[in-house]
Amino acid sequence: MDPECSQLLPALCAVLADPRQPMADDTCLEKLLDWFKTITEAGSSLLLLQENPCLVELLCHVLKPQDLSSRVLSFSLRLTGVFAAQEDCFQYLQQGELLPRLFGEAGPLGGAAWTAPTVRSGWIQGLRSLAQHPSALHFLADCGAVDTIFSLQGDSSLFVASAAGQLLVHILSLSMRGPAEGPPGLQADDWPACAQKIVGHIEESLRSTAAPQITQALNVLTTTFGHCHDPWTQVLWVQLHPLVAALLEKDPVPAAHSLVDLLLSVARSPGLSSSSCGLWETLAQTLSHLSPTQAGLLALGILKLQDCPQALRAQAFAVLLQPLACVLKATAQGPGPSGLLDSTSADSVTADILLPSKAACVGLLCRTLAHLELLLPLPQRPCPWPQAPLLGAAVTLLQLCGGSGSPASDEGRQLCTLLLGCVRVQRAALDFLGTLSQETGPPELVTQVFAVLLEYLRSPDSSPTVLKKAFQATFRWLLSSPRTPGCSDLDSHALLFLRELLPVLQKRLCSPCWEVRDSGLEFLTQMTRRWGGQAGFRHALLASEVPRLTEQLLRDPESYVRASAVTAMGQLSSQGLCVPPASPEHPGGQQKSLLGELLHILSTDSEGFPRRAVMQVFTQWLRDSHADVVGDTEQFVAGVLQVAGQDLDWEVRAQGLELALVFLEQTLGPPRSHCPYAVTPPVAAPASPLTQALQPLCRVRLFEFAFRALFDCDRPVAQKSCDLLLLLRAKMASSSSLQEPRSSPDVASVEAALQRWRAGDQAQPLGDLEPEVVLAVLRSMDLEGLRGALAESSDHVEKSPQSLLQDMLATVGILGENEADCY
Amino acid sequence: MPEIRVTPLGAGQDVGRSCILVSIAGKNVMLDCGMHMGFNDDRRFPDFSYITRSGRLTDFLDCVIISHFHLDHCGALPYFSEMVGYDGPIYMTHPTQAICPILLEDYRKIAVDKKGEANFFTSQMIKDCMKKVVAVHLHQTVQVDDELEIKAYYAGHVLGAAMFQIKVGSESVVYTGDYNMTPDRHLGAAWIDRCRPNLLITESTYATTIRDSKRCRERDFLKKVHEAVERGGKVLIPVFALGRAQELCILLETFWERMNLKAPIYFSTGLTEKANHYYKLFITWTNQKIRKTFVQRNMFEFKHIKAFDRAFADNPGPMVVFATPGMLHAGQSLQIFRKWAGNEKNMGTVGHKILSGQRKLEMEGRQVLEVKMQVEYMSFSAHADAKGIMQLVGQVEPEGVLLVHGEAKKMEFLKQKIEQELRVSCYMPANGETVTLPTSPSIPVGISLGLLKREMAQGLLPDAKKPRLLHGTLIMKDSNFRLVSSEQALKELGLAEHQLRFTCRVHLHDPRKEQETALRVYSHLKRWAPRSFWLGLGRSGARGGSHCASRQRPQGPLRAAPSRWVRDCGVHPHPGCCPLRGPRHQGAAGVLDLPG
Repeated sequence: MDPECSQLLPALCAVLADPRQPMADDTCLEKLLDWFKTITEAGSSLLLLQENPCLVELLCHVLKPQDLSSRVLSFSLRLTGVFAAQEDCFQYLQQGELLPRLFGEAGPLGGAAWTAPTVRSGWIQGLRSLAQHPSALHFLADCGAVDTIFSLQGDSSLFVASAAGQLLVHILSLSMRGPAEGPPGLQADDWPACAQKIVGHIEESLRSTAAPQITQALNVLTTTFGHCHDPWTQVLWVQLHPLVAALLEKDPVPAAHSLVDLLLSVARSPGLSSSSCGLWETLAQTLSHLSPTQAGLLALGILKLQDCPQALRAQAFAVLLQPLACVLKATAQGPGPSGLLDSTSADSVTADILLPSKAACVGLLCRTLAHLELLLPLPQRPCPWPQAPLLGAAVTLLQLCGGSGSPASDEGRQLCTLLLGCVRVQRAALDFLGTLSQETGPPELVTQVFAVLLEYLRSPDSSPTVLKKAFQATFRWLLSSPRTPGCSDLDSHALLFLRELLPVLQKRLCSPCWEVRDSGLEFLTQMTRRWGGQAGFRHALLASEVPRLTEQLLRDPESYVRASAVTAMGQLSSQGLCVPPASPEHPGGQQKSLLGELLHILSTDSEGFPRRAVMQVFTQWLRDSHADVVGDTEQFVAGVLQVAGQDLDWEVRAQGLELALVFLEQTLGPPRSHCPYAVTPPVAAPASPLTQALQPLCRVRLFEFAFRALFDCDRPVAQKSCDLLLLLRAKMASSSSLQEPRSSPDVASVEAALQRWRAGDQAQPLGDLEPEVVLAVLRSMDLEGLRGALAESSDHVEKSPQSLLQDMLATVGILGENEADCY
Repeated sequence: MPEIRVTPLGAGQDVGRSCILVSIAGKNVMLDCGMHMGFNDDRRFPDFSYITRSGRLTDFLDCVIISHFHLDHCGALPYFSEMVGYDGPIYMTHPTQAICPILLEDYRKIAVDKKGEANFFTSQMIKDCMKKVVAVHLHQTVQVDDELEIKAYYAGHVLGAAMFQIKVGSESVVYTGDYNMTPDRHLGAAWIDRCRPNLLITESTYATTIRDSKRCRERDFLKKVHEAVERGGKVLIPVFALGRAQELCILLETFWERMNLKAPIYFSTGLTEKANHYYKLFITWTNQKIRKTFVQRNMFEFKHIKAFDRAFADNPGPMVVFATPGMLHAGQSLQIFRKWAGNEKNMGTVGHKILSGQRKLEMEGRQVLEVKMQVEYMSFSAHADAKGIMQLVGQVEPEGVLLVHGEAKKMEFLKQKIEQELRVSCYMPANGETVTLPTSPSIPVGISLGLLKREMAQGLLPDAKKPRLLHGTLIMKDSNFRLVSSEQALKELGLAEHQLRFTCRVHLHDPRKEQETALRVYSHLKRWAPRSFWLGLGRSGARGGSHCASRQRPQGPLRAAPSRWVRDCGVHPHPGCCPLRGPRHQGAAGVLDLPG
């Protein structure tokens, strides 16, 4: 602890111990605790307490009967735990009987303060920090803490109850770690008393008829098997397995979700040999005992396991597929296999859940689709994967929701009534359909996929969120459509689809909802980026009104849409798609006007998003040597930097530096690789002297822009500028031909101006800079030092412990005057 | 037993990161999704892992409702929807939808710029999150699904702030968000129906405060600004871009006009236009005066307040500058503060350290800044005070009140006050604590047309505001309840009517002649017959008025207000006038009223 903080600490402790002094806000104590944790992690707690006796005085003081804030009491308990985590400090505090007085019956535990959840939470967290060594275990046993923790598992506060469960696991694990002479034996009877007590409590809870107690026990076990992988956990499972399996005999199965969590935690535990513990049998039993709504998560968990019997995997997959099999069966147009679980008849239990209640039906279908979506990309997914029937099911569900399904059976009609217009199922089915695009399907089904997607994109009833997902799914299916491996071009079917799609996109770009216009533009950008060079796509797009509408959306009232339109236009322009074939009189006329339009947006748009988008487009254009930029690159860069430098949005200014960097690299050659083994391409730096090479940079006033940015009040801009100038200086160093004069009147005046800029007065411009002056100024600047200073966050001073202590002390006595002013 | 469960994940006995989970009739709703700006790690967001242990959030939550655009109510939304993975609907009002992304973006920039935080939500995430928003109008009943409906009410506080009623069947909860029961210069006072919810979840920031007149605070503010300008000083007013800033702008603009002052007033960073744009766009959300004068003069088009350029800070002479951010921790307000702090003529309303009396501040680069300027703190915060909260509770007439967004000690005081004065149960759970309220099941009852026609024949038209008593016979058949006339009930049930005659023998000790005594008794009975008759039958309990009678004797005759009962059901959630109020008529709503 630094001396300044050490000096402030007594006063702060006095304030904390004074019940008349309320704390400024609840974050102060948290931050104070963070600070003490950092100190004790780095050094001796005992020394800290000895050097700062005010801390122990505070801990003693909070024990006195007084109207102390529950937050301060909670803080003190947690702080004690932090100190007592080190065994010597634990002994020191024990000598003063401080620990039993704080954590035992005589402490807050027996008093009125215990009614505050924050105190109970502080007590648990204090013990959690403290329980790090064997002495702590003895202490816990002596003060009867374990019994209190048992009862706190059922606390009215979720936070306290959860922390109590975790503390039990920690204590169990600590006691099983054993003393220095070695861990306890593997026979449960040999386990330490503390561990036996906890296991006994778990057993008792598992035998209970009360669901909350069973849940608590299962949760503790789940955490245990999730975190501890020592051999004793296998003994524990063998001992408790019959009790867990017995839960399955109850109807309904109690605490089903917690049971699923536990079984999966055990199955994932590397410390357990699953086959010997009857785990697979229990998992199979559980799958068949739980209702389809509860079993889905377990089935997914089983299928994610790396090593699992094939029969169990098949059973789990059948559970996952069951709801969709029911849907296919109910909507089948005629008799015959649907391809999904044809070997077994559709489970009547699932059908019973699906049909009578809309809420249950929607919930089960959404969960099923989400589970399958998670499963599909995994390498351990079931093989063969029933791609075609799943595609069929997704399409059917979308048709039912969209109203285009025409099921023949009563069940199908009932499903249709339940799902008609259901946005939740639409969203889930579209997400699933998009994921299914990773695999292909029979051509007739793929045609159906595109048809249903088009139906959704066309439908006036589709909500903006559904439309967004429909666009995303469409893009994914278009990506997967090429039949020729390795070829990214759209095939003829996809092109035909595109011709139908573009009028729909056109309509959506005119939607009154900004969300829809924006999703449409994002979709267009993605398509153009991917297929902008392909003749079929180009032809279809240019034949449509989409480019013209996109151009109009540059003036959309919604800034998000303007930004997306800028990005889309930038992309179209890069691919030469935003103009009709240029007339001989005005070659490139349209292109020029786009540059002007984008510059206009950059200078005048009141929102940051479109301006940022313009800068990104310009940077990309410069990088790609866009035709419009190549004409007069210097004028382009100068113009953009001038506008960007005055922007109020720091991200626009930072993007300006990105553009400057691209220009710099194009002018001087790319930075050299730092990797000594990298193959270095021939240096693109011009053979002419560096001063000559810097001329274009001076002409576009890049240095004025960069120096101004160096003293920018927004740190990322200054950092980026610093990096850019350091790069330039590195290039200078590599150029051996330079020995420019160190100082001159020009250099002095620039340095003086920069000093003023640094002080915040940036009114005076630097004027035209000569390369020699720039180089001299760059040499004289402490850019490395500046980079170090900028690496610290802007609030590092405020965040310092000293500042925290000062803040807390400064609020004393004035809180009453200035009430917490929440806006 | 059906129940409503409420668990605050934030704003339970504290002020910061409001996030309240409500479970009502099997539907799960999250009210607000705020962040705590005092932290810069994971603790700034509510711990969403407590929402559900199993399954996805999207499957568990039916919707998220955001009350207003302040970050302690919406700041965690992009994190929740784009990083934690909630993919369901988010409801908020139109102004909140428009303004929310601006503040989120502003905060994102500060977090990334000032604090250099990585792993923070991006601009794209904010946009994607806002695309999931469904904007609602005031008083528009929005069906989230077939059963769950929500309705927004005006809350004052800031532009677009709303209270929300969440209703499933006959059970409902009202969440106030932050609200203000008194109008200010630019917004009106909160207002809500007498909707009698099962539970009112109300903010309690000023649970123990009765705030002085706003006029005094305004006068004080104007006086101090005026004095500083008269001295030739510069006044810095750090503000958040939208909200109180506009109120203060209107205040200064009017004062400048009245006093014919010439010192320039500036508003920083181009936000004036943005703010004005939103106030013009949502003019219907402002107060009556602004709306009325809007046609002649837009109150948000200021004559004296100009856009600020950073070069103006060095201009000589007095000036007033509204600069963002309000906490003076970064950006333009901090830059101006650095320039002006050294001059004692100047005045500023500033951040934490300065407010708490520090006169020497260590800035970046170990520079020490001596604060010589005057520092003033004036609260224009627009929360309901204790009086306002009590007023709202009285207006809404809930069965229970749950306090959030306040300090525990102050809540305790208000809780007692509500329970004692309004006789309403009050709860104040800490974060993570669950309050469970049992509710009555809804029992639909059909009423026969004949019975209604007979009631109508008495000449009184149905009036939703004046519930009336309706006598009938409740028949339960195949789990359905119907209220019919006694005659119809007898007919349908195939029962014969039995008439019971109650008689009693009375011994009169009267010295007069028999004839004379008989005459006296006759005239007495003639005069008092109805009352004496009931008294004579020993049914004194029926005298005490319909409310008490039915409350004390749930087995008593069924009385109903026909106009409401037709739509609702046998459980009329109408305290104060409903005959079946009390223990919420669990199970049987009435018994056969045999003809006497």
